[in-house]
Amino acid sequence: MRHINVGRPENQRRDHVIVAVLLIISWALASLDPSQTLGLTRVLRASVLAPFLAADAVYEERAGLARRADQLNSERDYLYRELQGAADLERENRDLRALMGVPDRQSGLFIIAELVPGRPAVGDSHSFLLRASSLSSLEAPAGVSVPAGLVGVLRSTGGRTGLGDFWTHPDFRVSVRSTIGNATGIVKAAEEEEGTVLMLVEGVPYEARIPPGTILETAGLGGVFPPGIRVGRVLAEADSRSGWSHSYLVEPAVRPGAIRAATVWSRPAAIPSEPDLPASGQTSEAQRQAEDPGDGR
Amino acid sequence: MGARRGPALDVALVVVLLLVHFTFHRFFVRWPVTPNLLVGGLLLAALRLTAGQAALLGFVLGVFEAAMGLEGMGTISLVLTVVGYLAARSRDLLFADARYFTPIYLFAGTWLAELGLLVAMPGGPGLLAGLVLAPISAAGTALVCGAVDFVVASARRF
Repeated sequence: MRHINVGRPENQRRDHVIVAVLLIISWALASLDPSQTLGLTRVLRASVLAPFLAADAVYEERAGLARRADQLNSERDYLYRELQGAADLERENRDLRALMGVPDRQSGLFIIAELVPGRPAVGDSHSFLLRASSLSSLEAPAGVSVPAGLVGVLRSTGGRTGLGDFWTHPDFRVSVRSTIGNATGIVKAAEEEEGTVLMLVEGVPYEARIPPGTILETAGLGGVFPPGIRVGRVLAEADSRSGWSHSYLVEPAVRPGAIRAATVWSRPAAIPSEPDLPASGQTSEAQRQAEDPGDGR
Repeated sequence: MGARRGPALDVALVVVLLLVHFTFHRFFVRWPVTPNLLVGGLLLAALRLTAGQAALLGFVLGVFEAAMGLEGMGTISLVLTVVGYLAARSRDLLFADARYFTPIYLFAGTWLAELGLLVAMPGGPGLLAGLVLAPISAAGTALVCGAVDFVVASARRF
């Protein structure tokens, strides 16, 4: 490379000004919430970076075609089995509600969207883009899941694109309950010493014990996640605050790495007046706050 | 380094490195140790830009990199701005015409950039891993970008 002389004082002053301005802009960008830089990200990905992303998409499509076909087959079989069971359950539920005089359950809609995981320069991705034509009508935050379980949360939307966080994101929280209904808690990501990311369910009432192997699912409090989405399986107790609460390590139902399509929950216009309380009724105010849409989570 | 080359060839060299980086982005971020052609391209460009221009290029590349990876827009642009500025300034302090200047310059610059990213970006593999992996990545960058630079310089002489 040929070098140029930058030693003149006026050049140095100009350079210092340029660098100072750029550092201020960078600092401002770093302090912004990711959802606030979504517009710039979207513009760059649709213009300058579009050829690279298109080439990447072609590679991914070709490389993963056989794998996707197998995956889709197994998903189809799984969904077929679930549908068979769900039809009976739905009928029973409707009959029981009619007997008790409870209005019909409003479960909201599930919007299918393409999921594009982030690829940060350092570390694993905690964020993703969602693309679907009907995202514009969606109110964020909203739960994102696949048939196997919980994936993350959609944080913001703009046009047909949305920006979200996987459950591995340090800020992610979701209230859960055990499928047998004996305990509730709040799940967050927990990194093990070996570098693998598990889940940690905290705030489990002291009198409630969760045996290893218990399945945890979303409690549906706060209106961000629908109830009944599988979150993970309890591995072992992690900590116990004497007289207060337990925490347990949880094997996640879904590892976000390979997911390319997911469903976003569009909550019904009016959340049912009957609360989706866990069977034990051990719900705390903290759990409600953990899923409060007002804080953008 | 002694050869005088036209700016077009230098620009082409940097552009090719950046194109390769963004085209094969998924592979470069998947493996923990890979040549960092983004930083390599920035460092080579900084050799013939003023400090302000190099900082601006670093900022723009940082924004592009963050848009590709969906994370750390301000952080990456901040680190690459500083690296671009320091790279352009450091060449005046070092013996830029020395034979082994470019590989050492690329190695040190890439190591600095990767350490900066590791420290600034949350959720990375940690500083200890950075002290082990980053020098290997920096050595790979120095090898690849230095070799490309040498080949282009040789081709120019003929």
